[in-house]
Amino acid sequence: MLPLSLLKAAQGKPMMVELKNGESFNGHLIDCDTFMNITLREVYQTSADSDRFWKLKEVYIRGSTIKYLQVQPALLDSVKEEQQRAREAGRSNAGGQRGGRGMNRGNARGRVRGGPGARGRGRGG
Amino acid sequence: MESLIPFTTSGALVDCVDKKVLVVLRDGRKLIGVLRSYDQFANLVLENTFERKHLARYYADQGIGVMIIRGENVVLLGEIDLDAEDEVPLEQVPLEQLDPAYKREAEFRKKRETDKSQVLFEGLGFSKEGGEGDGY
Repeated sequence: MLPLSLLKAAQGKPMMVELKNGESFNGHLIDCDTFMNITLREVYQTSADSDRFWKLKEVYIRGSTIKYLQVQPALLDSVKEEQQRAREAGRSNAGGQRGGRGMNRGNARGRVRGGPGARGRGRGG
Repeated sequence: MESLIPFTTSGALVDCVDKKVLVVLRDGRKLIGVLRSYDQFANLVLENTFERKHLARYYADQGIGVMIIRGENVVLLGEIDLDAEDEVPLEQVPLEQLDPAYKREAEFRKKRETDKSQVLFEGLGFSKEGGEGDGY
């Protein structure tokens, strides 16, 4: 589960976003993209020295200004379960096709690029 | 994962996945947690995270939980040696006990930095720092 996939999975969930300048935003995640741009709804904004507060209906935050996002611990667990279910479903559908998912595609691409026996893939090779 | 990300730069984080790590951010924060995931930007997912605040020979931990850190803000990440971590000659104190002094110290340091950069800027022709006041 890549960081941005986890963020995508947090849609509709409450989270806290801290910006590089120290300001923080508490709200429910509406949407996000691959630049980490996000929109939040029903937001409480806190100033960097946490002495002023604002209530905002909806905010858009440019991804590049973010320092970190804090999500509910339960989210990680539910995503892990979801992944496990998807993996099992994939296994029963694939009918003996092993490996599955991105791995195969990645390997195939690597071979095309590097050619058989080409060096540079993996470690210590 | 290994086959998709080459063993360079952020690909080297492979070995730290599911390990207890220390992450230092550009703002000086020290976070300790279990590294669950990362990507090519070194965006990180940490679980069971807490911030460790140091002051002289004391430290206190403040729980955070699960966080997604934007890679840009990461200064360093290192695996924690579970056997050696309890042998640090520092004393843990409750957060409430450390926090007031820690905040004063942080404020003092911030003021000193801004004063210094002001003097350098006005008197010695230095350019202004990026605003975060760090050396990174």
